[in-house]
Amino acid sequence: MQAWLERVAEMFDAAFISGDRWKLYLQGLGVTLQIAAFAAILGMIIGTVLAFMKLSVRRNGKKTILAVLANIYIDVIRGTPSVLQLMIMWFIIFYSAKNRVAVAVLSFGINSGAYVAEIVRAGILAVDKGQMEAGRSLGLSKTQTMISIIIPQAVKNVLPPIGNEFIVLLKETAIVGYVSLTDLTRVANQIASRTYEPFMPLIGAAVIYFIVIKILTILLERFERRLRKSDNR
Amino acid sequence: MIIVKDLHKTFENNHVLRGVNYHVHHGEKIVVIGPSGSGKSTFLRCLNLLEVPTSGEIWFDGVNITDPKTNIDKVREHMGMVFQNFNLFHNLTIMQNITLAPVKLKIMEKDEAGENALKLLERVGLKEKADAYPSQLSGGQKQRVAIVRSLAMNPRVMLFDEPTSALDPEMVGEVLAVMKGLAESGMTMVVVTHEMGFAREVGTKVLFMDEGIIMEENTPQEFFNHPKSQRLQDFLSKVL
Repeated sequence: MQAWLERVAEMFDAAFISGDRWKLYLQGLGVTLQIAAFAAILGMIIGTVLAFMKLSVRRNGKKTILAVLANIYIDVIRGTPSVLQLMIMWFIIFYSAKNRVAVAVLSFGINSGAYVAEIVRAGILAVDKGQMEAGRSLGLSKTQTMISIIIPQAVKNVLPPIGNEFIVLLKETAIVGYVSLTDLTRVANQIASRTYEPFMPLIGAAVIYFIVIKILTILLERFERRLRKSDNR
Repeated sequence: MIIVKDLHKTFENNHVLRGVNYHVHHGEKIVVIGPSGSGKSTFLRCLNLLEVPTSGEIWFDGVNITDPKTNIDKVREHMGMVFQNFNLFHNLTIMQNITLAPVKLKIMEKDEAGENALKLLERVGLKEKADAYPSQLSGGQKQRVAIVRSLAMNPRVMLFDEPTSALDPEMVGEVLAVMKGLAESGMTMVVVTHEMGFAREVGTKVLFMDEGIIMEENTPQEFFNHPKSQRLQDFLSKVL
């Protein structure tokens, strides 16, 4: 028992303490969070724009050119692996870029945007048709009704799946190791191969991801509860 | 005030309105009845272009509103509409529901709109609900607020699309009472309804719609006591 405990302490020391290795995890986590946060913002912007493009209709009820373009974008992005998208951005499109994190942000943002587009579109379509009709019947324009009535209600619909998308995105950033960015996962992997003890670094990294996502979940739940205030029955 | 000329509306392959002609005069209370699927709701929704007619013309106070060049938002400011399902804005309080359009459309300042809203709410007995959300109200209360919301725009005509059909029976009376009060104040009204008592009591004209046309039109007296067409006689024998 004593020997086993000593062994665990030794592993822990090798993985986190000696050579101040814990700092490397924090740096890796910093890279992960930075990519995830900016990509999430970019994805939200791209996704919202795409959603409205997809919802646009001509007077005769047919699809607009914008809707067709949005469909192509979503099809292409969802139809290819995100690792490949990242590698194409990295090794082909921006092979000479200096800011490597920015390229990763762009790649993940473009990817996330396709999924966010469908979430936002569904959220808007889920708002009762009568809400738009009531707004229009009072003389408000389509845009005014959208801004004052439809979008605030759509945000409520959209929040749970958007939270889900953020969580997926945060974990998905673990693939930046493929293009030699040193995020949390890659740090764990590097330390494991240096100490020949994979257990502590890998489990440690998993625990860090878990904690970060748990905090994110709690924040989202709190925000959702605040928005549901007008639904009290 | 509203002139409808040879109005047609087709959904996919369903020819709902097959040539409706009518003239609503200022101050009239037109009650439209008819079996379901007769096109009466579609007819009403065409009057403020929530449904765009397939052909035909609608004139409102000298303006051809079916002309694509007409700014329909401006026209709708003067036409109130009350829906079967109330359609109150779920994300806003009762007060905000009522003041949103007048303030957004720069017809009133916020304070003025608020005062006006309270006055109107008092008239329908719901002043104390100003800060509640729609989900906290009963069906009858929601519909009374919906009427107030339309009135806050000072419309020249009010359109009612089966305003009591989604209500529990004990709440129908309170909504009809508000509508009756409105009629007495001189408002021009077009009401699609199944409430025959209301038609008889408040209507200045009653229309019977079936198969996409106005089959019969008369004063309530004549309409209910001496129906001319066989279709209307059959219909009345079922509902009265």
